Amino acid sequence: MLDFFQTLSDGVLFGATYALIGIGFTLVFGVMHKINMAYAAASVGGAYAGLLVLKVMATAPPALVFFCAFLAGGLLGWMVYVACFHFIPLSSPLATLMSTVGMLLLIDEVIVHVTDGMPQGYPAMFDDVMLRAGEFSMRGDLLLVFGVSVLAMIGLLLLLYRTRLGLATRAVSQQPVAAQLCGIRLVRVNALTFIVTGLLGGLAGALIGASVGTLSPLLTVPLTVKGLIVTVIGGLGSVPGAIVAGLLVGGFENVLQLYRGVTERDLYVMLLLFVFLVFRPGGIFAARGGRD
Amino acid sequence: MDFYFGLAQLIGVHTLLGLSAYIVLLTGQVSLAQAGFFAVGAYAAGMLTVLAGWHLVPALGVSALSGAAVACAVGFPALRVKGLMLVIATLAFGEGVRLFFFNFDYQIAKGGIQVGPLGGEGFRQIRFFPENGWETGEVMLFIWVFVAAAMALLWWFDRSRYGTVLRAVGEDEIAAQSMGINLTAVKVSAMTVGGAIAGIGGGLYAHYTTHIEHASFSILLATFAIAYPIVGGLRSVFGTLLAVIFVQGFLVEGLRFLGDWRNLLFGALIVLAMNLRPSGILGRRRA
Amino acid sequence: MKKLALAVSLALAAGVAHAQTVKITGFGAKSGVVRSFGINSEAAMLAAADLINKGGGVKLADGSKANIEVEFLDDRCDAAEGISVIRRIAGTNAVVAVGPTCSNVAEPLFGILQKKVGDSSDSGLQMPVFTDVAIKVGLAKISEWAFRNVPNEMTMYNSLFYWLHTQHPQLKTVYGGVEEDFAHSRATWYIVMKPRAEASGFSVVGNTKWLLADTNFATQVREMKKANADIVAISAHPFSTCGVLKEMQRQGVKPKLLVGLTSSSSLETLQGCAKQAEGIIIPTSFAPINKEAVAAAKTTAKFKGAADLHSMAAWENMFILKNVMESEGISGKPGDVQSDRRKIRDGLAKLKTTNGLIGVTKRDAEGEADKPYVFVHAKKGEWKVLYNPL
Repeated sequence: MLDFFQTLSDGVLFGATYALIGIGFTLVFGVMHKINMAYAAASVGGAYAGLLVLKVMATAPPALVFFCAFLAGGLLGWMVYVACFHFIPLSSPLATLMSTVGMLLLIDEVIVHVTDGMPQGYPAMFDDVMLRAGEFSMRGDLLLVFGVSVLAMIGLLLLLYRTRLGLATRAVSQQPVAAQLCGIRLVRVNALTFIVTGLLGGLAGALIGASVGTLSPLLTVPLTVKGLIVTVIGGLGSVPGAIVAGLLVGGFENVLQLYRGVTERDLYVMLLLFVFLVFRPGGIFAARGGRD
Repeated sequence: MDFYFGLAQLIGVHTLLGLSAYIVLLTGQVSLAQAGFFAVGAYAAGMLTVLAGWHLVPALGVSALSGAAVACAVGFPALRVKGLMLVIATLAFGEGVRLFFFNFDYQIAKGGIQVGPLGGEGFRQIRFFPENGWETGEVMLFIWVFVAAAMALLWWFDRSRYGTVLRAVGEDEIAAQSMGINLTAVKVSAMTVGGAIAGIGGGLYAHYTTHIEHASFSILLATFAIAYPIVGGLRSVFGTLLAVIFVQGFLVEGLRFLGDWRNLLFGALIVLAMNLRPSGILGRRRA
Repeated sequence: MKKLALAVSLALAAGVAHAQTVKITGFGAKSGVVRSFGINSEAAMLAAADLINKGGGVKLADGSKANIEVEFLDDRCDAAEGISVIRRIAGTNAVVAVGPTCSNVAEPLFGILQKKVGDSSDSGLQMPVFTDVAIKVGLAKISEWAFRNVPNEMTMYNSLFYWLHTQHPQLKTVYGGVEEDFAHSRATWYIVMKPRAEASGFSVVGNTKWLLADTNFATQVREMKKANADIVAISAHPFSTCGVLKEMQRQGVKPKLLVGLTSSSSLETLQGCAKQAEGIIIPTSFAPINKEAVAAAKTTAKFKGAADLHSMAAWENMFILKNVMESEGISGKPGDVQSDRRKIRDGLAKLKTTNGLIGVTKRDAEGEADKPYVFVHAKKGEWKVLYNPL
């Protein structure tokens, strides 16, 4: 029984990294009704950019690396917006799907070229902290990731519901034409959404790098898949949904891995997704009617 | 010359993969499950020629049938979801198929050695073509017979009432439904035809590479499948063919002389292509 | 017009007479996560060719000398691309191909080669391929045109476990960690490490599995902790090896000895987790243990590549091929490419031993090598030789 709870808690904590990526997917979807396939890659790219701090100043504290990743993530988010969305008409969802896939491949390959594909050690905070209760233990660095995702969610909700930018964002997401008639600049809101999600992504990438201990371009595709699954299970456009779903998927896969082995683990994650699609297609917290 | 014949073989196989996504896209469904149907076809044909000693042609028939059957089975539940949900549901299905083959062992002893699929180590020695003395040019012609047939079929669909119905569903489901079009029949049939084409493509792919393993049928392949019709444009089947030639012939092979830079350009050029022609190479001007 | 054509052909003929070349084409991954392998192999091939050319080049059948020309193509570690690349190479005047990096490319690639030499009913490609990196056990037997100069993991791990047993008789149990979805690492544990450890008198108390791109190893390491084995053997590539080592540190799993996969004895592991990898023992077919090996590493570094067991195999291949070309007497003329290829194949097949950087390599009838090896261990961020069984 201890095994079960330990495995569950390990998985749920690790699920916080999926939650962070899921939030980014869900925000872009909420505002633009578009899918940004390059999001996880840009997040990992931001985390890599954070490492540049160590090149300049070898003794930089991890927090500075994280902050740099955060800023770089925002910049990358804006670049993804310009390259993949700005010039493509809103009515071509297939074109933006493809352009962001191209961007994913491009970011991956840039990382590979800069690092020769070698895994890079990543600085961590609280990585030597283990909370213990008898045999039971919890990783300090993952608790940090968990805390950050909750803070990010609160921050985002405040941004969405307490600021003018948030008001504009929600207006665009509900009725883009009416929002424009009210004087909201659609392009600006869209670009800002990408910058905000990018900032969050950069931080997420850094935290993932820190909790894994190493960064590699190998991370991007699995994170993209898990992030998308989390987005759907949480309900498209729902930020709290993405967090709950991230933790759920993390815990679920780890428990299944314990009982069914690592080769079958992801099969069950896919099954979980199908169960949600069939019985609860709106996700855990189905978002209220969007512009469809 | 053999090199160009070989390249033409690969382009043919990828064209089949692209066409299988093309017909599904016509109905407005973005499916990332095509790599899964492709994998089913590859394993089916490989097992029949290697383990059962069949000729390739009937084996490909079974590939087509099994691809179609699986696609039909996916088509029904997939009807429940739309848009992004469908993308992710089909992606999950495709991954599921890959993971199935990752766990799939079926080996028998033949000529003193064990042959057949062996989980993560893959399925080797699918050597129907070289063992029967087929030259590269002959294999190319053989593959292109299937490509031409699939293209002719889809082209004919486009000219017929069926094609109009497919596009009507793709343009506006509700309007199509109010015209008395049976959405279920249209969507599932498109998926099934797509599955059959992907199955044949997979069967040919297995014999092209002689070795298949789960990792060959990853999300990347599924993304390529939908990339071809999207980059090429949905106006006609020739768009898909052009896109395969653009990607496999130009971006992958044509730019090989660039060495290191080729792979960097690959993603960048796809981004650029979509910015310049959001509706594809042969797409309409209007988005 | 005729005059011009004559002048051009004369100029060409003169050019050929002055700088005759034989072309060797390398191929492997220069993009994607395994990019460093391709870069290192290319550098080693260029460095070796440079050395050979400075020493006068290769002697051809007619007594003239030819320079070696090296080209390197990227296959992106993709099966279909690998096939296109080998067909492209077969369409040029390259007499032999050296590569590929990935076992999942080597396997289909060897599959499209002719299975048995001279079998006219088999239309497979007739191109000698001399592999430097792809290491999964038992691949060269797929075709008689395929040869490999990669370490024999069977011998290396057999010897390693035997040595460990004699050095540390108090250690009894071995526990395995396997990267399950990668052909090479998976085969190495089940076919090589596990049976070899048992043969040396260890008892294998279990194994745990993870995937190449996995990031959370808590459950696996907990199983490892429960088994409480004296030795933990990790059959995985650097990224997940580092992930597991870091989780082991977190959970306080400290086996008395750590054994790693031969491919992880590279810079990658040290770059990712030097601190946690401290003390891990890995058998490898290259270490700078003598003058020649040090010089090879230095020359390769000039061409911007690192010397490790993989790239130095590419280096050795160049010298082996030079000797084969000279002993078989290839003509080097563009019209004789096919017969030259056949001669090189036959020459490679004849070899019983070859001289490598750290000793003599035995070659078997299947086209595989039995390379000399040393045991290295990670010490303070560097690979140091622990024991030389030669």
